[in-house]
Amino acid sequence: MPSRAQAETQLRMFWWGTQERARRTFGVNDLFMERNSGVSITGETLSWGDYWPRLATQTAGRNIADIVQMDYRYIVEYAGRGALMPLDDYLGESLQITDFDAGAIDSCRVDGKLYGVNLGQNSTCSVFTRSLLEQAGVSLPGHETTWDTLGEWSLEVVDAVGRPNFWGVQDGGGVEPAFNVWVRQRGRELYNQDGTIGFTEEDITDWFAYWADLREKGAVPRADVQALDRDAPESSMLALNYAAMIFTNSNQLVAHQALNRNKLGMTMVPSGGEGAKPGQYMKPSQMWSIAAGTQAPDVAVSVVNFFVTDPDAANILGVERGVSPLPRVREAIAPNLDELDRAMLEYIDFIKDKVGPLPPVPPRAAGEIDRLLIRVNQQVGFGQLSPSEAGKQFLAESTGILERS
Amino acid sequence: MSVALPSEATSRDAADRTARLPSGAAQAYLFLAPWLIGFIGLTVGPTLISLYLSFTNFDLIQSPEWTGWANYVRILTNDSKFVASMQVTFFFVVFSVPLKLAFALAVALILNKGLRGLSIYRALFYLPSLLGASVAIAVLWRQLFAADGLVNQLLFSLFRIQGPSWISSPDYALWTLVVLSIWQFGSPMIIFLAGLRQIPQDLYEAASIDGASRRRQFWRITVPMLTPVIFFNAIVQTIDAFKAFTPAFIISDGIGGPVDATLFYTLYLYQEAFANFRMGYASALAWILVLIIAAFTAFSFLTARYWVHYDD
Repeated sequence: MPSRAQAETQLRMFWWGTQERARRTFGVNDLFMERNSGVSITGETLSWGDYWPRLATQTAGRNIADIVQMDYRYIVEYAGRGALMPLDDYLGESLQITDFDAGAIDSCRVDGKLYGVNLGQNSTCSVFTRSLLEQAGVSLPGHETTWDTLGEWSLEVVDAVGRPNFWGVQDGGGVEPAFNVWVRQRGRELYNQDGTIGFTEEDITDWFAYWADLREKGAVPRADVQALDRDAPESSMLALNYAAMIFTNSNQLVAHQALNRNKLGMTMVPSGGEGAKPGQYMKPSQMWSIAAGTQAPDVAVSVVNFFVTDPDAANILGVERGVSPLPRVREAIAPNLDELDRAMLEYIDFIKDKVGPLPPVPPRAAGEIDRLLIRVNQQVGFGQLSPSEAGKQFLAESTGILERS
Repeated sequence: MSVALPSEATSRDAADRTARLPSGAAQAYLFLAPWLIGFIGLTVGPTLISLYLSFTNFDLIQSPEWTGWANYVRILTNDSKFVASMQVTFFFVVFSVPLKLAFALAVALILNKGLRGLSIYRALFYLPSLLGASVAIAVLWRQLFAADGLVNQLLFSLFRIQGPSWISSPDYALWTLVVLSIWQFGSPMIIFLAGLRQIPQDLYEAASIDGASRRRQFWRITVPMLTPVIFFNAIVQTIDAFKAFTPAFIISDGIGGPVDATLFYTLYLYQEAFANFRMGYASALAWILVLIIAAFTAFSFLTARYWVHYDD
């Protein structure tokens, strides 16, 4: 093997995630370098929160890595500003992803051009502490759970577990992915195609009122307890042991299990009941994108291709980034997965025909509005606003944010 | 400062050498260069650029776009978060600085009595100041004041009181940060201690002979003699409090919650810059903070002559 200094092509790779993800990613990079002498890949990694400021700063300083991990929420921002390289010319050539499941390629397109390679399929889900619920003798939540039955179920958990400061389900009023499912079940979207708000004042008011009702009944954590949740797996009501169930992204099951002594299970987000539309949808958990300014586009594409198509690479990656959209990769890794990973694989398989179409890509200020939902739901929780006042305020503030961006 | 004057012989030597070596001033700059380059490159340069950016729209990815005074106008006329974060910061400054100084002075007075093992106590009390701004302490704070935290466990076992989750309740969250700040009283305490040592003992002896009580001695001798040190500590601590960032950032994970109760001005500035990618707007916010701190400091110096007593 040639020494790193002599390598002809040097690539930088940048992603967000946990230590576990870093371990797997470096493993695949090492394998690639072993098989392709003359290429050296260096990797940098940060947490989600630190990643985006750094990526923006590096982009501004013309110092962006060759291969960057991209999210559905930010791809418009980066592709639209010419920071990413379109991959259409490589499709079917050195990028052999044409057998991806239907929709798994289109979800990485912006204005018809391909800017990302899907690293795993993902959806929202409910994650619950299976072993604790079984011990307490409470029925496990399932895909037949509706928003209407969720409250009673949660109260059942409160009674059965009988511990102070412990509730069945988290206060989901500030969880944007759950709200997203709720509005889609009502036939609307968070955002329209043109980037404006896609739901009505009635939708958001009902949402706040729904959670206010559960809070009043003692079915969800008090506002001051729920406020300990800082929108990260480490501070979720599940990890802090204040609730038996939370809403999250399906690929994060691995991260949540690592933080929990109880065995976890997963199921769909509660359904809207009779006549409701499917609320969930399948999206890329994340993608690899290639910087427009890379010096070695061909090598970068082959690295990305290696990540998503090579069986050995797939075995290192597992389902930590979500479930591969390539059937032959799924088959290759299936025998080597543990119980938890298999549960995720089965979940994605199970919901395939129960999800709706991919919603329009969220507008630029979506992250700010996500944090606004947390704050306004807290204002209801702490009694500063009534649900109807909160609905009005949320709409006014989010519209203001969108106009400004 | 005392500077040894060069003797006649050496200055003649120096004059001979000027042809070959840079002049005195140039030499000085040469030796200053490492610091100077850093100062210009890392402080002055970015400061000037941020002044320019504060008049633009800049999202880090596309080039800045000149908008004149628009950012400043919006901040001062139409930004409820600016007002809210100002209130949080002023509340923090107004409560944390005097309480912290009072606490530091009280501990300094006790230590000044000549305890045995003084240096150990001094080190122990100084420790929180070293740790206080660190991430680990902010995380510890979160554990202490959470719903099932140590504070509530104590409250329950001692008084059977079920306390709220202090750190995540809008009524108390900011107070936990004030307490954290007071706990870091070490550095003003050390300075107070040094100041107390400077007060001539004969003043107290004379006062005792005249029959002045301890309390009277404190208010008539200690406090007036200490005013320069109080003044120094107050300025430094106030500027620090205006700039407070780390504890709030860690404890609320950068959100400033619950319900913006810990949205410090610096945190709002950070959010605008690095979460919402409005670098121009954030630069304008930063310059307003600079002006506020400058105005406060100028005001302090102007009023200082009415209450700060210098020996000379």
